[in-house]
Amino acid sequence: MSVDAPLATPARHGVDGPYARDFEEKVAGALRYADDWTLPGMLHGAVVRSSLPCARIDSIDTSAALGIPGVRAVLTADDVPHNVISEEASGLGLDPVIMPMLAHDRVRYDGEPVAVVAAETQWAAEEAAALVVVEYEEVPGVFSTEDALADGAPVVHAHGNRYVAWHLEEGDVEQAFADAEVVVEATYRTQHVDHAYLEPEAGVAWIDGDGVLVLRVSTQVIEHARTIAEMLRLPHARVRVIGAYMGGGFGGKEDMTVEPYLALLAWKTKRPVRMVWTRQESLLARQKRHPFTMRYRTGATRDGRITGQEISIVGNAGAYPLLSTRVLFAGAVNATGPYRFDAARVDSVAVFTNTVPTSAFRGFGAMQVVFAYEQQMDRLAEALGIDPVALRERNFVSQGDRRATGESIDTGVGVADCLRTVVDALGDASPSTLGKRVGIGYGCSMQPYGRSVFFADRASCWMGLEQDGTLVIRAGVTDLGAGQAASLSQIACETLGMTIDQATIHIADSHLTPLTGGTFATRQLYMSGNAALKVARELKAMLEPVAADLLGVDAGSLEWGDNKVCATGRPDHAITMGELSRAAENRSVMPYCHSTFAAEVGEFDPTTGRGRSFPDYTYGAHGAEVEVDEETGQVRILRYVACHDVGRAIHMQRVEGQIEGAVAQGVGYALSEEVQIDEDGACTSTLFADYLIPTSLDLPEIRAIALEIHPGKGPLGARGVGEPPIGPPAPALAAAIHNATGAWMTQLPMTPERILAAMREPVA
Amino acid sequence: MYASPFEYARASSWQEAVGLIAEEGEDARAIAGGQSLAPMMMLKMAEPAFLVDIRDVAPRTIERDNGMLRLSALARHADLEASPDVAAAFPALGEAAGMIGNVRVRHRGTIGGSLAHSDPSAELPCVAVAAGASVTTLGPSGERSVPAAELFVSHFTTSLDHGELITRVDVPALQHGQGSAFAELIRRPGDFASVMVCAVVRLGADGRCADARVVVGSTADRPLDVTAAAESLRGAELRTEAVAAAARAVADTTEIGSSTHGSEAYRREMVAVLTRRALLKAAARARGEGAHE
Amino acid sequence: MSDKVRITLEVNGRDVDAWVTTNQPLSEVLRTEAGQTDVKYGCGEGVCGTCTVLLDGDPVNSCLIFAIQADGASITTLQGLAAPDGSLGALQQSFLRHGGSQCGFCTPGMVLTAHWHVRNSPETDREAIRTALAGNFCRCTGYGKIIDAVEAYAKEAGRVG
Repeated sequence: MSVDAPLATPARHGVDGPYARDFEEKVAGALRYADDWTLPGMLHGAVVRSSLPCARIDSIDTSAALGIPGVRAVLTADDVPHNVISEEASGLGLDPVIMPMLAHDRVRYDGEPVAVVAAETQWAAEEAAALVVVEYEEVPGVFSTEDALADGAPVVHAHGNRYVAWHLEEGDVEQAFADAEVVVEATYRTQHVDHAYLEPEAGVAWIDGDGVLVLRVSTQVIEHARTIAEMLRLPHARVRVIGAYMGGGFGGKEDMTVEPYLALLAWKTKRPVRMVWTRQESLLARQKRHPFTMRYRTGATRDGRITGQEISIVGNAGAYPLLSTRVLFAGAVNATGPYRFDAARVDSVAVFTNTVPTSAFRGFGAMQVVFAYEQQMDRLAEALGIDPVALRERNFVSQGDRRATGESIDTGVGVADCLRTVVDALGDASPSTLGKRVGIGYGCSMQPYGRSVFFADRASCWMGLEQDGTLVIRAGVTDLGAGQAASLSQIACETLGMTIDQATIHIADSHLTPLTGGTFATRQLYMSGNAALKVARELKAMLEPVAADLLGVDAGSLEWGDNKVCATGRPDHAITMGELSRAAENRSVMPYCHSTFAAEVGEFDPTTGRGRSFPDYTYGAHGAEVEVDEETGQVRILRYVACHDVGRAIHMQRVEGQIEGAVAQGVGYALSEEVQIDEDGACTSTLFADYLIPTSLDLPEIRAIALEIHPGKGPLGARGVGEPPIGPPAPALAAAIHNATGAWMTQLPMTPERILAAMREPVA
Repeated sequence: MYASPFEYARASSWQEAVGLIAEEGEDARAIAGGQSLAPMMMLKMAEPAFLVDIRDVAPRTIERDNGMLRLSALARHADLEASPDVAAAFPALGEAAGMIGNVRVRHRGTIGGSLAHSDPSAELPCVAVAAGASVTTLGPSGERSVPAAELFVSHFTTSLDHGELITRVDVPALQHGQGSAFAELIRRPGDFASVMVCAVVRLGADGRCADARVVVGSTADRPLDVTAAAESLRGAELRTEAVAAAARAVADTTEIGSSTHGSEAYRREMVAVLTRRALLKAAARARGEGAHE
Repeated sequence: MSDKVRITLEVNGRDVDAWVTTNQPLSEVLRTEAGQTDVKYGCGEGVCGTCTVLLDGDPVNSCLIFAIQADGASITTLQGLAAPDGSLGALQQSFLRHGGSQCGFCTPGMVLTAHWHVRNSPETDREAIRTALAGNFCRCTGYGKIIDAVEAYAKEAGRVG
């Protein structure tokens, strides 16, 4: 079967056909990802990376590398016009911390890029990269947040190791703890984890016939085009980024990865350049999730009402800030979980260390804290002798309740329904057998969707009917495999009464598609989905008078469906979309529309920690039944139920897919995944064989239940579902392990060895 | 990452392969499935200048010949896993083979290759020693037989000469009253084992242990025959208490090196757990109980 | 630079001549010389299954086989499972129907392994399918809908009791 053979008519079996084009191409093996793109004369790029975590660079000798046949460029910091990937302008008035594209006078983490090579073959590029000689002088560094915060610790950046400190306070905390009849206190620690998407970082850059530097890359954010332009000191309009459909993102492709290196090499060599990172260099050096150390103090009355929460979060930002301010902010705002309190105080700090920079990863600060706040509830329940489910139900927030920022929740809260659903679905634990203890546990969460409202988020979209009635959509969304593009087609088509095989969507082109903002923060359905809905409705409104005129009825007596518009109740009296489009054009009602959806705007004062943060939340509850081998500590998950109130499911199968996939990542986070960095800052887990993501045998049948109870702020009342399900697995599993064995788990991942050790700890 | 360039030739017989390697010298190596050698080459941990491909030098036969299981060195892990002869003659071998890596590795990797590679974390060296297997080799000086117990010297080091290739593996078939079992502790399906144990027991007519062999793998630089530590089993009824005591003794004396898979204390404890489980299972099978697990 | 040698592969039923260096992996040669960009690179270590192809009918790590070792072999990639008229094969259709593909990057290796498993199993069920796919990583789906897709295909093929 030749790769050139066209796809025939897609399958129309089952309830979900016709299918979005990208999914058809994926199962056909026809979709062209970032590395499936070849241009004549294309060079291959490779990055030279530091092998030390903290050192001054004395010299870089590229002469041997340049001597390898086929090498066309070996570039260092001096070759970069504006050597700045990010300055972390968070609007907080913080001193800028420069993250260079290529290290100049010092390296700050194991694997930091130092030079970059382009050659005629991938092999020559690798050979040359290995021959770049860097003279380092090691200097003392800090590799844990404890060390970084100690007096006299070496500083990662001139202004000190404490980078940002958020402080939220609502109510009288001292009084709340005075009112408390029971106080539970614990410290929880989470680890570095990697996104481990299956498609490595990849892309191709070239200069087109108009002198525009074009990058076609696997990225969640095409708006980085501006940063790339500035790095090369080019006008913004001279750089164009095309986002290929990604083989996974999860936040790991939210900051730039290959883009700066591709851009620099293409610009300098004037030839197309391809770059694909190896899995090993990705595991070593590409940004990870922030480890959090979380100290929680929770006070409650004897009958289980939470009075006070006092929380301190320290996040390991690694060597450069990237999105640390935002991650620690999300952690702070969500630290109290979906529970009421009389008063709360949250401190959330990002700390630099000489380790791999940490940044965005599905859950983004708000998921680490779930492990902590849920276990606090379980500890409280046990201390009070109250059932953990009942304790939660006693304290769940409702619409109108205040958060630690002082703002109120302004949509309906479905967490209690979710928990009830999960409890009923799981029922009682299966009996334990010899040597294996079975337990059940629950975890609840609230996870924001949409960017913080003080960012004044926007998304634009364009839609137009062709003369034959097919629909063209242009939207700058990037698609990381969760149906970002397909959802827009679906929303547009359903609004216009069309089937999705009639639509073509062009996405992710910073010059040719209206910008929608990147795919992160569970914002895409909310933002571009609303934009698509808005545009489709506006287009429909423009065309209604034309259709009404053609059919000889009022605009209010039209039915749109089946790729036609008919008079209400008279399916035989209809016009096709093509007839409508041509008629509109003849009347100079051009059948296309561009519009922008602007999210709600709010204000937040960082100095007081008061104001509005996220637009809304998705609530959920998970339940897990586990079997723990008493002798080895190994955990087998027997049953797992995950329930979220999604407001409105635009495509139920895809919603379930998001829930199931996020649960899988959450299980890996909970039980097995850890990027290992030793006490000298060296990464020791650079093989994929050693980075333990769950296989099919590590997971049970995951039962995903999406409830549609309280409408959210997404299109048609949808709530975002990409991130929310990743938080509850860790606490649900911890609770189940506790229920099975009595062990309290405070550190992730909960490896068999740690579980065994916790089982043997004397009960406090 | 690319392996360093090498020259390549496909051999059509064992003799030809041995001859080619002898001719090309110290930097020549044989490759069959390549599931161990190829990744090492791609990580630049091995840089042979000449590869002799032996994949097709002989058929991948598995034969039962009275009391002996005779395996071509080219028998793949998938072949061992699926073979009814292996399941009948020495079940622990097929079970262990089924735990190697993933389905793709098992369709390329060979028993000869695995034994010659001498990775202390590999399943087959451990089972080979426990089974009392022996390998037939062909080298520049001719053919000889080497007991598995004398084969594994250290990490990636066997007692074979350079250019001496394993051509056959002979495994004594279990007799009536014998039972075998293999157990490993893995962090994730397909992973290299943190700890592994292979146990073979023979029960006398009185139902007591007449003979036992226990081999621990993955904890040191080679499989460790720790049978001596389980000496207390001789003449004992192989039920839980006696076996547990022997397992503790085994664990106490086993060499445990450092590993990223867990602390020494934990892995030592797991040696005891796995030894106990493997012995009990082997004993149950020796009695004819629970033939299929 | 090494000299190149000529190898011949049969790829999805068509003959491919390629000039390769000895150290080029099969996955790369399939992508660049045979035009099969449906063969993906995921880890280069043989653990993730993303690069799975069928070689003489067996599922193998194309990233861990030097192309020269495969000289003369018959290779099937995902596109080789298409129906004779070029439309999606039955298992591919089942993936589409059941949502077994999200980002799609694991799909080529996953579908090939599943296809191989069903074709080689007189009988299978969800547990056996789950076990057969343990060496193919997916980071998006949590595996549930993949197993749904394979089970449905196996039922159609008469392999589920």
